[in-house]
Amino acid sequence: MTDGPLIVQSDKTILLDVDHPLSTECRRAIAPFAELERSPEHIHTYRLTNLGLWNARAAGHDAELVIDTLIKYSRYAVPHSLLVDIAETMSRYGRLRLEADPVHGLILVTTDTGVLEEVIRAKKIAPLLGVRIDKETIAVHPSQRGQIKQSLLRLGWPAEDFAGYVDGQAHDIALKEDGWKIRQYQEHAAEGFWHGGSGVVVLPCGAGKTIVGAAAMAHAKATTLILVTNTIAARQWREELLKRTTLTDEEIGEYSGSKKEIRPVTIATYQVMTKKKNGVYAHLDLFDTHDWGLIIYDEVHLLPAPIFRFTADIQSRRRLGLTATLVREDGMEGEVFSLIGPKRFDVPWKEIEAQGYIAPAECVEVRVNLTEAERLSYATAEPENRYRYCATTRTKRNVVEEIVAHHANEQILVIGQYLDQLDELSETLGVPVIKGDTPQKERERLFAAFRTGEIKCLVVSKVANFSVDLPEATIAVQVSGAFGSRQEEAQRLGRILRPKSDGRGAIFYSVVSRDTIDQDFAQNRQRFLAEQGYSYRIIDADDIFQGKF
Amino acid sequence: MEIRSYADYLRALDDAAFISIFTHRPDLVTPVPPDIASLAVRASSAPSLARAVDGLNKWQLQVLEACAVLNEPFSEKELTSCTDKSAIFTLPGLIERGLLYQDKDGLRIPTTLREVLGNEIAGLGPASMGALKLKKLDEAPASSKKVLDAMLWGPPRGTIGDIKKPGAGVQWLLDENFLIPFNQTTVVLPREVAIYLRGNKVHRELETFAPPVTGESRNPKSVQLAAIANITTFLRWTEEVLNFWAQEPPTALRSGGLGVRDLKELSLHLGVDESCAAFVAEVSYLAGLLTIDPDDKILPTHQFDIWLLQNPAVRWQQLLSAWLISSRMSGLVGKEGSKNVAPLGPELDRSLAASTRKLVLNLLCENSEIAPDSQSLYMTAQWLMPNKRSGGVQEDYILWTLREAEWFGITGQGAISAYGIDFLNGGDSAAIISDLPQSVDHILIQSDNTAIAPGPLEHEVAQELALIADIESRGGATVYRFSESSIRRGLDHGRTGEEITKFLKKTSKTPMPQPLEYLIADVAKKHGKLRVGNTVSFIRCEDSVLITQILGDKRLDVLGFRKIAPEVLICGHDAAEAMSVLRSFGYLPAGEDSRGLLLSGPRIQRAQTKARPPRIIGEIDKPDEIQIQNALRALRTGEKSSRKQSTMRNIATEALGSLPRTTANETLELLSGYLQNQPATSLSIGYADNNGLVSHRIVDPLKLSAGSLIARDHATGEVQTFRIARITGVAAL
Repeated sequence: MTDGPLIVQSDKTILLDVDHPLSTECRRAIAPFAELERSPEHIHTYRLTNLGLWNARAAGHDAELVIDTLIKYSRYAVPHSLLVDIAETMSRYGRLRLEADPVHGLILVTTDTGVLEEVIRAKKIAPLLGVRIDKETIAVHPSQRGQIKQSLLRLGWPAEDFAGYVDGQAHDIALKEDGWKIRQYQEHAAEGFWHGGSGVVVLPCGAGKTIVGAAAMAHAKATTLILVTNTIAARQWREELLKRTTLTDEEIGEYSGSKKEIRPVTIATYQVMTKKKNGVYAHLDLFDTHDWGLIIYDEVHLLPAPIFRFTADIQSRRRLGLTATLVREDGMEGEVFSLIGPKRFDVPWKEIEAQGYIAPAECVEVRVNLTEAERLSYATAEPENRYRYCATTRTKRNVVEEIVAHHANEQILVIGQYLDQLDELSETLGVPVIKGDTPQKERERLFAAFRTGEIKCLVVSKVANFSVDLPEATIAVQVSGAFGSRQEEAQRLGRILRPKSDGRGAIFYSVVSRDTIDQDFAQNRQRFLAEQGYSYRIIDADDIFQGKF
Repeated sequence: MEIRSYADYLRALDDAAFISIFTHRPDLVTPVPPDIASLAVRASSAPSLARAVDGLNKWQLQVLEACAVLNEPFSEKELTSCTDKSAIFTLPGLIERGLLYQDKDGLRIPTTLREVLGNEIAGLGPASMGALKLKKLDEAPASSKKVLDAMLWGPPRGTIGDIKKPGAGVQWLLDENFLIPFNQTTVVLPREVAIYLRGNKVHRELETFAPPVTGESRNPKSVQLAAIANITTFLRWTEEVLNFWAQEPPTALRSGGLGVRDLKELSLHLGVDESCAAFVAEVSYLAGLLTIDPDDKILPTHQFDIWLLQNPAVRWQQLLSAWLISSRMSGLVGKEGSKNVAPLGPELDRSLAASTRKLVLNLLCENSEIAPDSQSLYMTAQWLMPNKRSGGVQEDYILWTLREAEWFGITGQGAISAYGIDFLNGGDSAAIISDLPQSVDHILIQSDNTAIAPGPLEHEVAQELALIADIESRGGATVYRFSESSIRRGLDHGRTGEEITKFLKKTSKTPMPQPLEYLIADVAKKHGKLRVGNTVSFIRCEDSVLITQILGDKRLDVLGFRKIAPEVLICGHDAAEAMSVLRSFGYLPAGEDSRGLLLSGPRIQRAQTKARPPRIIGEIDKPDEIQIQNALRALRTGEKSSRKQSTMRNIATEALGSLPRTTANETLELLSGYLQNQPATSLSIGYADNNGLVSHRIVDPLKLSAGSLIARDHATGEVQTFRIARITGVAAL
């Protein structure tokens, strides 16, 4: 028994003691093969998954290294069955390889004929295969390159893809480092991707994934298709590319619901790609309109299912996935692995945080007591109206007033979902409100004023906070708004809140009505944010009124 | 004294010889027979001989088969010539077991042994009636040779179209008496012919040595590490199974044992596969840690509480010892392609279970440097336990034993660990205590509402924590998660919010996260606000708002509430149902009895009955020296008294000149002696009829079988069956 920082659990989770002197070293050692699940303050939880182990294999780590690492850092003896399982799983990767063949086009080659025999007998695989060339080789229909990788992964025999890529139409792109410098980890990420061919780069929110994308484009020097989650993200990409690369406005096109430009670098939204016209995906052609040399998928963990289908058909083009996490809520991690590629680079949050590039915000939940009368109305309200009732209670207004007064010298955004509540707040606080129907001009004016510090506080609706030009603030106060994907929530948080120059962290207040479903939502948020390493505390509205923050 | 029979042979033995017989054949002294004659009868009875034969290895069995083929009495030389010179070395072993004995003419075997060994020993047919000119076989025509080759290594029976019109080859053999017609379509190859053609040997191949056990070699250090991990895990599993069932005891099936669904639930709870879950449950059952109470509830016993207080080494040993001698094979649960066998049920007993287990463990000990390959282990085991009667060692049993040994930590990475060796040698496994991770008394609470015990938690802390948090992950460490429902469970068990907070603050090494404190306070504040009556089923709440809320809650309409006071509701359903409905919709009611006292929640349960671990079948323990000495003394005394009695009786008989009178044992002894020596004279017996009238018969015994004597009765001239029990006495004429 050693006194290591790691505890390997029988359910394949790994606990890392952050306060242990060896923890940093150990974190680095296990990062290639274990997925970080939770990172609260003392013990981080990692998980060993098949995909994680195969990712490690793809990155050149072998089972021995994984096992040695676990044994080396483990505090207690590691269950033997687990080690056997790891070795067994990892040995499955790479027994089958896809290669380019001058005569047969695409071939599936194996070092283990038993495995080949097994897979060619599988119902899902057989139709994808061509003639048997010899004992260890079989031809594959080139159009099925993606399909076969997907099916093989499902069978548990992931194939390594050595079939190479087309170069695509050349287009000169370079990074333009004027007044800024690419961070070292971003450069490593881009290089890691380029040498691996295709794959996914995992970086935490706010770590500058766009720049990794730009750097990858500079490597490829070819026409590029960028797929992003929505129009706001598309515009953000565009701005970043203009700022960071030699690309000019004319070279970048936007392909979305409102614009359909196809240019050497085209940014398309998932939404438009998955839009159906008369039952068919109308914009599928985009993949073929150009001889793309590189395809970038932003937020791979949100990639919609139909895109995978397109992606399966373009396996000969280089693909880069960018994400903060490989965990998908729909469990399609396998598709990411087989169709976009294995993980090529990741760097733990804490490391980037230590370098001062990102800082987790502090989250404060303010609990508001309902008055007796309010409680009674809440209790008798119809279930569908309950959330609205408790989220817009009068008491919240007073609390927001106090918070805004407390942070009088800082840039504050007040975010809410219900328009009448926002109007009331704007009136009470005496600050402007931006809603969905606010004209673009007015919006820009207000944002500009907020940026310069002319306006210290803004009330914005949920619609408005999706806007790309939403300025950064140090304080955010959320008064209402049920949450969709928890992932999205954290990302938005990361975008709005930047650490202040004096090192003080940003604060995110959420005002919650006690003993209502508002509080239940808050509990989920607490768990998620705490797992992400944000600090979280709860205070009573009464304390706020007494000036205790 | 002239040795006439097996009994006489036994009478002539010294104490040392008896001790070795009894050691090898414990069934001979359980119970202790009254005298040597009875002992001889028991020792030469088919069941006892079969047991003794089961204990032989392949080579010993082959020699014994050769003995059975030879005509008695035979010499060592005859034996070695039909086997191998080294057969001589197996003879003492056979004699020690009483399977072979020497009289003045040569070696003999107990008569019944032939039956035990089977009809066609080593594929040989019956002896020929007449003398054969075996030399002639060398000149047999080619067609006859073909027939002989087919029948040479057994079975010695051959089927032909019609005995009256056999082919030329068969005809020649029949003419020469080298084949014996058996019935219309069957011919038999006589033993002498087969042996002659086998080159005067009995077996085609002699398996003089056990095949070696092979396997991958293992580094002793990593074996130890793996074993200790297994031991920790197994002890944890056991504790978890019992704690799990203490809270929600499953009900045994009507046919006995654990239902499929309960097993599945258990395997989910432990996070292991079902065969492993079944094994853990079985071992707890064997060790008396759980029992099936008269209400068919499967519950931990008080023994479990005692077990928990022991140190890990003792805990491990208790489980292991119960498993080692058990005749139950939990591997049968969920065996592919067989019917569903329930764990803890009545269908798990297998007579070879314990002996296979011992055999495998011994082989593991003998090959401690390697992780034996199961196939090679099987081959070796088959040589050591050829055991025809029950089909020999089963490969499944060996695989299961290896698997179970690994779960237990007797082995690590498939090779036997020092702990395993120490245990099998009767050590106290104390090394486990120092090698096991030290238990910790603290937890680390984090702000995502989890607590982590970074090692095996001290028992009391673990118990308390299990009340107020759900376990999320197990292993070297334990991850607990606090939630509203887990805190509520703690409150249901009578803890207060302050107590929980105090306990956590005391136990946690890290500061208590503020959100958790809020969570506990919130739940505690709400908990018990609602009180639900049990007998009259009422709901009351000091908070009339809440009452209004409940009354207005359409989802609760099923309960049929009626408001009887601003703070009290009554309900037409019984309290438990009402509570569950309320809880399911997010309320936090607490039970209250008719006097207004708060009812505390479910307790961890224990069976009220004594532990009744399943009985062990099939195996009889080796008697120790004292037992053997006692048995011997009892025998000698019995022998003296029976001889005296029989002398007295003979005097009386002579005086009366009437029917012969012997004891049952004497009767059997005389009869088997007769059958063995086949003297030319007949026997006189007294035989009682249905009414108890004893008549005098003169008979020629033919065979003893199934408690009867088959003999030709001189009075009728027919072959008749005489029940041994009815024979009043036997005397030679």
